[in-house]
Amino acid sequence: MTLFEAILLTVITASTPLLIAAIGELVVERSGVLNLGVEGMMIMGAAVGIAAAITTGSSAFGVLAAVLAGMAMAALFALLTLGLATNQVAVGLALAIFGLGLSGVVGAPFVGVQREGIGAIAIPYLSDIPFIGPVLFAQDPFVYAAFALVAGVSWFLFRTRAGLVLRACGENHASAHALGHHVLRVRFLAVLFGGACAGLAGAYLSLVYTPFWTSGMTAGRGWIALAIVVFASWLPWRAAVGAYLFGGVTILQLHAQSAGVPLPTQLLAAMPYLITILVLVLVMRLRGGGAGPAALGQPFVPDR
Amino acid sequence: MRRLVLERRAETPWALTLASPLLAVGLTLVSAVLVFLAMGRDPLEALFVYFIMPVSDAWGLQEVAVKATPLVLIAVGLALCYRSNNWNIGAEGQFLMGAMAGGWLAVATHGTGAGAWLLPAMLVMGALGGALFALIPALLKTRFGANEILTSLMLVYVAELLLDWLVRGPWRDPQGFNMPQTVVFAPEATIPLLMEGGRLNLGTPIMLLVVVLAALLVARTLKGFEITLVGEAPRAARFAGFDAKRLTWTVFAIAGGLAGLAGVLEAAGTVRMLQPGLSPGYGFTAIIVAFLGRLNPVGCLVAGVFLAITFIGGENAQIMMQMPLDVTRVFQGLLLFYVLGCDTLLLYRVRWVRRAEA
Amino acid sequence: MTLSRRNILLGGGAIGAAAAMPAAVPPAAAQAPLNVGLILIGPVGDFGWSTMHDQGRRRMLEVLGDRVRATQVEAVAPPDFDRVATQLVRTGSRLIFTTSFSYFQATQRVAAQNPNVFWENATGTATARNLAIYNARFYEGRYVQGVIAARKSRSKTIGYVASFPVPEVIHAINTVMRGAWSVDPQMRIRVVWAGAWFNPGREADAARALIDQGCDVICQHTDSPAPLQLAEQRGNVFGFGQASDMTRFAPRAHLTSSVNNWGDYYVARARAVLDGGWQPSDTWGGLDSGMFRLAPFTNMTPEEASEAERIRDALAAGTLQPFEGPITRQDGTLVIPAGQRLTDDQIRAQNYFYQGIEVQMP
Repeated sequence: MTLFEAILLTVITASTPLLIAAIGELVVERSGVLNLGVEGMMIMGAAVGIAAAITTGSSAFGVLAAVLAGMAMAALFALLTLGLATNQVAVGLALAIFGLGLSGVVGAPFVGVQREGIGAIAIPYLSDIPFIGPVLFAQDPFVYAAFALVAGVSWFLFRTRAGLVLRACGENHASAHALGHHVLRVRFLAVLFGGACAGLAGAYLSLVYTPFWTSGMTAGRGWIALAIVVFASWLPWRAAVGAYLFGGVTILQLHAQSAGVPLPTQLLAAMPYLITILVLVLVMRLRGGGAGPAALGQPFVPDR
Repeated sequence: MRRLVLERRAETPWALTLASPLLAVGLTLVSAVLVFLAMGRDPLEALFVYFIMPVSDAWGLQEVAVKATPLVLIAVGLALCYRSNNWNIGAEGQFLMGAMAGGWLAVATHGTGAGAWLLPAMLVMGALGGALFALIPALLKTRFGANEILTSLMLVYVAELLLDWLVRGPWRDPQGFNMPQTVVFAPEATIPLLMEGGRLNLGTPIMLLVVVLAALLVARTLKGFEITLVGEAPRAARFAGFDAKRLTWTVFAIAGGLAGLAGVLEAAGTVRMLQPGLSPGYGFTAIIVAFLGRLNPVGCLVAGVFLAITFIGGENAQIMMQMPLDVTRVFQGLLLFYVLGCDTLLLYRVRWVRRAEA
Repeated sequence: MTLSRRNILLGGGAIGAAAAMPAAVPPAAAQAPLNVGLILIGPVGDFGWSTMHDQGRRRMLEVLGDRVRATQVEAVAPPDFDRVATQLVRTGSRLIFTTSFSYFQATQRVAAQNPNVFWENATGTATARNLAIYNARFYEGRYVQGVIAARKSRSKTIGYVASFPVPEVIHAINTVMRGAWSVDPQMRIRVVWAGAWFNPGREADAARALIDQGCDVICQHTDSPAPLQLAEQRGNVFGFGQASDMTRFAPRAHLTSSVNNWGDYYVARARAVLDGGWQPSDTWGGLDSGMFRLAPFTNMTPEEASEAERIRDALAAGTLQPFEGPITRQDGTLVIPAGQRLTDDQIRAQNYFYQGIEVQMP
């Protein structure tokens, strides 16, 4: 494998948790809900995922448990923000604190326990294609899941009626309601989907990427996922671009350090953030971008 | 089949403004009993340690004030941003930038015996540093339409790395064994303490003054009206001739300035030097404070004090009851959920209705 | 243990006279248990630095039983330090360990404010009348790592996952290379700064970058087992564990781990307070002190293992000195000529790479 292929391979794996979580949050925000608690849901997924995997000995069960944990956290968020029309930003941030703490409690018995990570699955034939094969088709199942999520969510949002309804709820909940759509139900399902994705992203960290548990191991990736949604102008394929761009620059700056590029390491480490801002500005200049769902963050209370 | 629905209240009855926090307290009590009994601890002791001990003596009260000061300062600025629909979530970076700008003066004048001008100059520099840094997302938003959620958040990490570079390179303490920190600020560059036997410093009165000024700004001035109107009815604001872009600059500058002021107060007050890890996430916690305070300056003060108590209560629970940090965080999260949830009761009437009606 | 002239750095003559003064407080009454406080920079579950201090605390409780009680506060940010420390004092702690350099200046401050409490700062650089400092000479383990790495590496390139450019890390990198050059002067090193003591994903990415660029032995100066796990996963790459014995994380890649052990020190210090013999000492314990040890050598031939053992024992015995002259900086200036040795203070403050290390100082 060439160095270039190796770098691409690393970029894709490093970006995968960001992409999975971002796609989930993108659907949530498209429905008009701003859940800033991605970090909390993600780390609960990581903790519950590895706890379940170690306890049952099954990685599949671990992944399932992580998804359910993310959804449970999302349900809590939904109860407050949809059921009680509480401020979404504040509840989201509280969810991040809560998740950080609860994951520590859940994970405490598993600190320092070793477990085999989920390995790569090479797709027959496709993985034999030169260059593309080893980079794209000899990855772990989560990478494929991320590809599928981007395609699936893109199709759902823009090619299905349900997707249209979801977007309508995010643009103008009053009209959607007037048209007879169950705004709160749609939003609830969207929030649950976001939780499931965040949980899955967490499971990726603790079951594949660095298969062990330590508290705080998401290390801010939930926040980056939030930024990627904005970067994407709420478009799934742009989220993929954003995630791979961010992951790519992150990996490249590590390579630059290793190769001895004579720049301060802090400047190199700041590159992913600076370049993301720069690219966003350029994209906005050249292509423009949506201003975001109009009803984002606004509570909806049906007037009966 | 019956279910709960919410109805917006025309106005909030007085009794409810009291009852809502009481309900939150009641729910907290119930979960405290459940959580702490499950852990085999005395729930009453836990509640005492959490909520009473931090405010039970002069030292504790001073500590609450010290902890609340940066939170409230930042939150007041953020409240103005959020009121006008400017999603500045990068106060953490503006806080650090303020600490760096003000700290630079302290480092540059160290050992020169600078006079009484130094401290006010540091505070001004801090506020300027934070404000200028906050103007970057404002500029990117108004000039290029780049969403400020992303830019302000990303700039937090940039500020962290800049601080890291400065304290490891140019500003490193020459006598500090090459460790990543500046000199300890000289007494003339340190925020004066106000009372014996505690850490209450000049930052707290400054914070209170800011709260009063901001409350006046919001309630009594045209600018305050403009901020609210742009946020709530942008079309009407345009008709009224208000310039949304200029306002974006204004609120970002104010929020950044206040966060920067908080930063330099923290660097020169409680830590007395620059080092990585200067902020335990004040800029992010302040977002909760702003919303918990309903984007109202006085509300931010109350919410900031409340959050400060829960943080200190969490420390106390670790110290007095050997409770792990994670459990204190879970409890803090629950508490916030209750308070936020009960807040709903002030705005809405909760009713049981038949399913068919809904 | 030496009572250091570093005291003078603190200024005041009164403090400088520390060496002559006995401990401030009479021994605690035999019955009342001693309250010991610990302030940790990270969460107990970080599986590294803070976890190992927690283990030390547990060990102290085990050995001293009901003669001591321990209170611990996790993940304390520097702005919160003064309050937590004061609260520990107010609730009866008489011996307080502050386990990070970030707390050093603040510990000096609160120690002066609370003269009746014994303070101990890990990795601090000066003592005071009631303030001791302690650390371990982890670099001795790094020298052994360098020797092993030179034996194991086929690409002749060591990869170093570093955290931050503090002297502790810089002199560790220098010492790894000294060890490696003692076997093969052709050895090279690549360094990636992860910018964190603890960020598993980033540490793994850093290790990936190093391996992709041809490093086949990975040293890590970060806390999580991620780099070692990655070496295992890649195969034909070796690594060393940090802070605890990480053999199980990489049964085929693990060579040895540097295992922190603060327990014995904490026992000794608590006992000293109980017995009234506490002194503001400056402890920098090497392999002989037991403050850290090397986990059993794995994945090495008997010859390689016995060589590593020989080097380790020579370091412990002091017959092998990693900081013996001549020492030349990257830019060619001579630090000390042959026949001299760096002082502890010079080691503690090291901020330059040796000649031959082609890594840019950040």
